[in-house]
Amino acid sequence: MNLVGIATGKVLSSFSVFLFLTILLLAVARRISTSILLFSLQSAVIAAEVLATAFQQKLPEAYVVGILVLLIKVIAIPSAFFVLTRRLKTVRDVKASTTPTQSVFIVAAMIYLSYGAVHSYGQAVHVPDDALAAAVSLILTGAFLMVSRKKALMQMLGLLVLENGIFLAALITTFGMPLVIEIGIFFDILIGLLLMGIFAFRISDTFEHLDVSRMRRLRG
Amino acid sequence: MVLLPPLAIPLFGAGFIFFFRDQRAAARVALVLEALEIVALGAVVWQVHVHGALEQGRYLRADGLSSFFLMGIAFISGLVLVYASGYFRHMGEGRFSSPRWFYALVFLFLFTMISVCLSANLGFMWIMMEGTTLASALLVGFYNTEGAVEAGWKYLIVCTVGIAFALFGTIVLYLAAVKAGMSSAAALDLASLMNAAPHIGLDPHLLKLAFVFVIVGYGTKIGFVPMHSWLPDAHAEAPTPISALLSAVLLNCAMYALMRYDSIISRAIGPGFSHSLLLLFGTMSMVVAGLLILVQRNLKRLMAYSSIEHMGIIAIGLGLGGPLGLFGALLHTFNHSVAKSLLFFSAGNVRHNLDTLRMDSISGISRTMPQTSAALLVGSLAIVGLPPFSLFISEFAILSEAFTQARYLVAIVFLVVLSVVFGGFAHHLFRMLGGEPGRRIENSKLIPSEYIAMGIAALCLLVFGARVPRFFGVLLREAIAVLR
Repeated sequence: MNLVGIATGKVLSSFSVFLFLTILLLAVARRISTSILLFSLQSAVIAAEVLATAFQQKLPEAYVVGILVLLIKVIAIPSAFFVLTRRLKTVRDVKASTTPTQSVFIVAAMIYLSYGAVHSYGQAVHVPDDALAAAVSLILTGAFLMVSRKKALMQMLGLLVLENGIFLAALITTFGMPLVIEIGIFFDILIGLLLMGIFAFRISDTFEHLDVSRMRRLRG
Repeated sequence: MVLLPPLAIPLFGAGFIFFFRDQRAAARVALVLEALEIVALGAVVWQVHVHGALEQGRYLRADGLSSFFLMGIAFISGLVLVYASGYFRHMGEGRFSSPRWFYALVFLFLFTMISVCLSANLGFMWIMMEGTTLASALLVGFYNTEGAVEAGWKYLIVCTVGIAFALFGTIVLYLAAVKAGMSSAAALDLASLMNAAPHIGLDPHLLKLAFVFVIVGYGTKIGFVPMHSWLPDAHAEAPTPISALLSAVLLNCAMYALMRYDSIISRAIGPGFSHSLLLLFGTMSMVVAGLLILVQRNLKRLMAYSSIEHMGIIAIGLGLGGPLGLFGALLHTFNHSVAKSLLFFSAGNVRHNLDTLRMDSISGISRTMPQTSAALLVGSLAIVGLPPFSLFISEFAILSEAFTQARYLVAIVFLVVLSVVFGGFAHHLFRMLGGEPGRRIENSKLIPSEYIAMGIAALCLLVFGARVPRFFGVLLREAIAVLR
């Protein structure tokens, strides 16, 4: 009967570990499709966290947010990405500028760094260090993916990971912002991705590749 | 109710104008909509002046500071749309580059920028700030050339990441406010935050963290060095009316958002921290942009770097604070917008007549394009801060504030950069104006729409240089009262 309660507790106590796992795997992923799946998985962990918080704190608004995360970030955005990869007929490699080993070391260092950074804030806001460190390391990893992966699609994905981190930070520290604002932010992200998709098409049309590092006409 | 029309007109106008395929019809409808919009914004400014702050629901609010910026938006967007009405004769038809797409996106862009200035809630303000990026990204990439696509992509990615940091900063501020006992509905509300500010300063660490993220985030939109990488590309590759809107309206809107955070945080924990950061970013932007101005080869990129430099000047004015510093900073937002629009308009004419913006292949235009050259000269003299133009007054105010506060280092850097920029502009300008004309130009005469837009801008620079008009001074005082 109290199965839900137990599950909630487990989710809240272990979601940080799963998030660390997804970013470490993102560091080694060589294919765009793998990265998309990992992003979807990561969002699913966050959705579970939101729903667990909603259940534990009895916040009806948080259920709405959790379901939105599930619909948008776990299902809609990854499927849109898959459509985009197919339509763009791009090579499947993420074109990393660091080797997988280097990437894992960098991401591990970022996780370590995040623990150091949140140490002084965790107690002040009554949030477990693990959760806060997970949020910060998502932000850092997202930024790292954006600068180290040359494919336009991977930059979009890095942005989404970064945004996941910010979303998570908002959630665990404040139990989410007012619902209207939360929905507005989701809407912005969706439009932003749509536009980036349009630009990805235009890049592949005008340059006949999707390698952002080769766009270097504008300098100085 | 008076706050709704300025938002409804551009929003529905954007949809309405979509029915006009013809370029002339679209331009006319756009001018009518813009005239209505100016009236609506004027009504807001007037009502705020008479009754004080206005509220509409939980998310809209206008006070002295918003109405000052709204007036700037109304003026500049009016000029830009007048100029744009003659602009399309230069452009070919494309699938997504038709006038109706252009105008629809422009009105959406205006809608988001006006919403930023009218928002009563920091979350709503963030949403609309991100909206400005989304609405203008396609406009930056409008020409669909290699350069435009690259600039658009860079703009979208850099600004979205930047603004994500601002969201994080907003969340931290919200957290600090909730921790200090504010209700979750009030903790994002601008007016409540301003009232409660003295009580939320118990935990200065969180507020400092918030401001660092906000200044990096919104600073990306403002174009502070080192987050400025998108700005020269976007300004140079966008169609000319859009360059003017980006430089003269968008940057100010982002600056407005930063001012709001700055006033909350300085009220909570004292101005020391946020003002030092503003001074730091302001000086960095001035110095780096000032030096880069010297080596520019493209006319519009020159203007773009000059925008970064002027945003630095405004940040220094805000960072100094004090009566003259704030007066100078606010006045400078307006003066810079006017001068920069005039410069972009003339740069646009140069491009149409010569098909290039490379400054080494432009020469002798004072003989082939006398009117455009005159505008370029007036704009450049104004932008480097020479009297009798208006930018001299605002820059002088900021400089005297620096001396009053005995901040000699800031004052010296300020003066040195201004002289470097003067040298840079003089060097570039006289090479283009003088010399042998490169090629003959059939018809360099300005058409009436360009004449009006550039004439009004130049006149405004002169009038404000002689004396700040009375009504403007009153609005300026009301805006400063909000900040202090």
